[in-house]
Amino acid sequence: MSKQPVSRRQFLNYTLTGVGGFMAAGMLMPMVRFAIDPVLAHGGKGEYHTTKQKVDELSTKPTRVDFSYEQKDAWYTSEVTQTAWVYKNEKGEIVALSPVCKHLGCTVDWEGSGHKSQFYCPCHGGLYEKSGKNVPGTPPTRPLDRYQTKVKDGFLQLGKPEPQDIA
Amino acid sequence: MNWNGKDTESFQQQKEYVDTALVPLVPISFESDMKETASQHEFVQLLTMLLEKQFKGRILLIPPFTYIKQQEEEEKLAALKRWSDEIDNAGFKHKLFFTSDSNWKLAEDKIDGSLVWVPAVPLEHMEDSYKYSLIEDQAKQFVNIIVHKWQQDLS
Ligand code: FES
Repeated sequence: MSKQPVSRRQFLNYTLTGVGGFMAAGMLMPMVRFAIDPVLAHGGKGEYHTTKQKVDELSTKPTRVDFSYEQKDAWYTSEVTQTAWVYKNEKGEIVALSPVCKHLGCTVDWEGSGHKSQFYCPCHGGLYEKSGKNVPGTPPTRPLDRYQTKVKDGFLQLGKPEPQDIA
Repeated sequence: MNWNGKDTESFQQQKEYVDTALVPLVPISFESDMKETASQHEFVQLLTMLLEKQFKGRILLIPPFTYIKQQEEEEKLAALKRWSDEIDNAGFKHKLFFTSDSNWKLAEDKIDGSLVWVPAVPLEHMEDSYKYSLIEDQAKQFVNIIVHKWQQDLS
């Protein structure tokens, strides 16, 4: 029965270092994570989402393609649904436009409210040509964003919407 | 626009473009109709979120006006009146109250603003993809109603 005697002083020393260590770790960990996270987050870049749209069924008339995927926002995972207006241009290339109006973000409609061959925004009457180019004299000042596209097994995949430069 | 820091900031800069306030009316009860009120909240919440997305640049979606289900009608009407006065003072031209609580339907003429009553569909056992297409179908008719309202405004 020869236990190591632990003096009062030693005991306090041990426990306090322990607690202090935890506290320091508690403060440091989030800081380290903040520093590292943006680096890790870049893994998500260049992600493509598969849609149910068959590429050979696309025509020169813009069709609405909805697609959904899971989005993780901190601790909160949600299913988001996005829309694209997709068609083939004269060169046969696939054009996928974001429906988000460049004025204040309403959803635009192809030939909405009887506007022939144009995208129409019901909120403040914004108009865009088929290419996505904004019609001067209406509220939007920039063209609609264009999605990056890919084709996989005959199905359309959409990436990130990017600003267009059309004069 | 949503009730968050970022959107309300752009609201304050673009006020003249955002002329419509969307307010869900949501009852709360802990009695036998607890589940019913909760489902109504779930349904109305999803529906108004989708409408906000569609009309982001012209609609501000305000947090729900919540009240105790058992509350006296007079009391509820008075409280709602305060809200609608406040919304008027903020300069909104249109007030849209969305609810699944049929009691409001009976008091419709005492409400200052447009009341939209939609019977809630219980969503709890539904698969996500089905749920969203159902909400979208429902939302479509309201999209038309809202656009129509705005057009009336012009003529
Ligand atoms: S949000 Fe589209 S015209 Fe204003």
